[in-house]
Amino acid sequence: MTADQYAAATGLVERSAAAQVTGIPEHPADDGYFGPASVTWRMSTDLSGVIAGLRSLLTQALHPLAMAGVDQHSDWREDPVGRLAATAAYLSTVTFGERAAAEQVSARVRRIHEHVRGVDTVTGRPYAAGDPGLLLWVHAAMVDSVIAASNLFGAGLSAQDGDRYVAEMATAAELIGVPAGEVPRSLADLERYLASVRSELRCTPAASESMAYLLDPPGLDPDIAEIWQDVRDGAVASLPEWARDLYGFDAPPLSPARRGEIRQALGILDAVYLGEPGVLEARQRIALRIRAARRA
Amino acid sequence: MRRARNLAAGLAAGAAVTALSVALVRRRVGPLRFTRGLAALQLVLRGGVRYASNAPRLFAAAGEHRQRLRNDLALQTAEDVTVTLGAMKGVLVKLGQMASYVDDGLAPPVRRTLSRLQDSIPPMSPELAAQMVREELGLPPEQAFAQWDPEPIAAASIGQVHRAITHDGRAVAVKVQYPGIAETMAADLDNVALLRKMLKITAPNQDVDALVDELRERVLEELDYRQEAANQRLLAAYYDGHPTIHVPAIIDELSTRRVVTSELSDGARFAELANWSQEERDLAGETIYRFVFRSLYEVHAFNGDPHPGNYLFHGHGRVTFLDFGLVKHFTADDLNPLMQMARRLCVDQDPEAFRASLEEAGFLVPGAPLSTDAIVEHLAVFYEMIRESRTLTVTSDYASAVVRRFFDVRSPVAAYASVPRSYIILQRINLGLFALLGDLRATANWRAIAEEIWPFMQAPPSTPMGEAEMRWRARRKLAA
Repeated sequence: MTADQYAAATGLVERSAAAQVTGIPEHPADDGYFGPASVTWRMSTDLSGVIAGLRSLLTQALHPLAMAGVDQHSDWREDPVGRLAATAAYLSTVTFGERAAAEQVSARVRRIHEHVRGVDTVTGRPYAAGDPGLLLWVHAAMVDSVIAASNLFGAGLSAQDGDRYVAEMATAAELIGVPAGEVPRSLADLERYLASVRSELRCTPAASESMAYLLDPPGLDPDIAEIWQDVRDGAVASLPEWARDLYGFDAPPLSPARRGEIRQALGILDAVYLGEPGVLEARQRIALRIRAARRA
Repeated sequence: MRRARNLAAGLAAGAAVTALSVALVRRRVGPLRFTRGLAALQLVLRGGVRYASNAPRLFAAAGEHRQRLRNDLALQTAEDVTVTLGAMKGVLVKLGQMASYVDDGLAPPVRRTLSRLQDSIPPMSPELAAQMVREELGLPPEQAFAQWDPEPIAAASIGQVHRAITHDGRAVAVKVQYPGIAETMAADLDNVALLRKMLKITAPNQDVDALVDELRERVLEELDYRQEAANQRLLAAYYDGHPTIHVPAIIDELSTRRVVTSELSDGARFAELANWSQEERDLAGETIYRFVFRSLYEVHAFNGDPHPGNYLFHGHGRVTFLDFGLVKHFTADDLNPLMQMARRLCVDQDPEAFRASLEEAGFLVPGAPLSTDAIVEHLAVFYEMIRESRTLTVTSDYASAVVRRFFDVRSPVAAYASVPRSYIILQRINLGLFALLGDLRATANWRAIAEEIWPFMQAPPSTPMGEAEMRWRARRKLAA
């Protein structure tokens, strides 16, 4: 397979914005699994979100079995934007939705995972998407990415809030099928877990191809494409060195000026998101609930 | 102060600038595409476009639910301000506002993005506003003023306006800046690589650095309310006693870098003029026209923000001018070429000399392989109001034609044109003026008014307002 078999990334901004909005209820019956006082909610509104997302994918793809599952089963090539939007909707619902809604979308993803099994052609190892080990990897890579991206380009997290965030997010891992006892619950746990997996990671042809597509997706609105270059540089700069080495990315150290520029690009992208239908209202709903929780 | 000459040059010159700046908007491909956010920025930087959001946005006018929502979301700390307006968003809002003119410039998605961005900025909480007043004036607002209204009456892009009454009984408008916004935006403007990158796409081969520098300076100036106060003081003093032009006085002792207090004015908003008689609208148009060119030629200052929200109308042509945050000062050397261009084209009717003026002033590459007829033909639309002495109605169609010509990137003239930095700001003022007069469908003999103000003509009054103005000028001289 070659990269030119991928569909264009037309509508990336519009569709991910719409997907996020769907997860944020107007009159929720409960506060969901995290709630307005959580670090998770705060992180989910951080400016660095899009870089966190891209860094997550870059990291997750380095596990050959996780990558093989996506490569062999998902409609990722035919509809990459739809695939990303579906993930955005899932994350938004788990984070901000009522408990019932979070359980419902998680159950749906678990059902889909049941059919995703096969043999990775690179390592020759069998895989199953429902394998708690793989689910844990995907989870941990995301949690780590949110923290790294926020510390570099967003509001940042204190060590204490970092611990809280990792602990809160354990719930999301459990919802998707990771046994409670296996999920990291502190920054130190998370570090230890990531180090333990490192020897299994490699950049397979599928990973290399998919990520090349994501870093430079064809079909973006020209103005968005400009901004995407900054997002991409930000995501690559935020990766740990071993991950950059696996991909062979040659990234110069991030200068303070370049970091400022990337933050500016994120701000502009954020303004573009705000222009999408429903985004401002959804954010106001979240902000009001966070405010109310702070007052209480 | 040496009087700079001419006047209709202003329109004309501004016009020429406008026309010639097409080079600045030249793009890689055919017709302009206006996509969303970034296009907004590009547009903004080009300095075109319509008053997307009329009038300073009135919180109170937005309905009770919205009002409550805004209060619940009010900015409570300086950190809230940074989160809301940092990372270029404040700069975008500001530039978007600067862009704001002329009907067909902004495509709906761009207008939506800018207006949503502006909507996303809540007011300061009463406590935060009070804290700013305390920091700036040394006293809490209830003590600095005899009466203080904690609910803001209007949003300014980087602050908000409160009503108050001073201890000596004057009703005033107090504009309070968001805490930390100046530092946040200055930092964003220091890092101009992004702006430059956007502009490079928009304007390859153009002097992007000059444009970025000019924009940066203007925005930074606007962040220091002392500049605004100084500009307003200057114009208030000049127009003191003017029959139709009023500039509210600044209350010096209650004005600082982040708080500016001026006499409170009341009057009809621009939108209300739609219901006024055409005679009244014509008079309002005449006052605005006189204000723009008197300011340029007598005070060497041009208000760069001809936003409809910056005027209050009182009938009989009387207009109060508000908001002097974006005033550009000119030297005689800046103004002379503009005047000469208008004089040579409209008075001397000498196209070759007109062309030579364009080249001398740096608007046109000398010796460009274009016929002088083609150049005049390209620019004629901008000089239409003043090329001959006749009664003329400015229509929205005419204003749109000016804008279309402004954005006509495919004209052969565009390839040889450029805009010297000191004139960049004239473009948008000019587009804004055309748009306003077009909205009013204002009728007058604009050329005759121009001749009154043109320093090289100083023709006798051509209208009753001109006569009243002459008497005012005579009184001024006497007083001096």
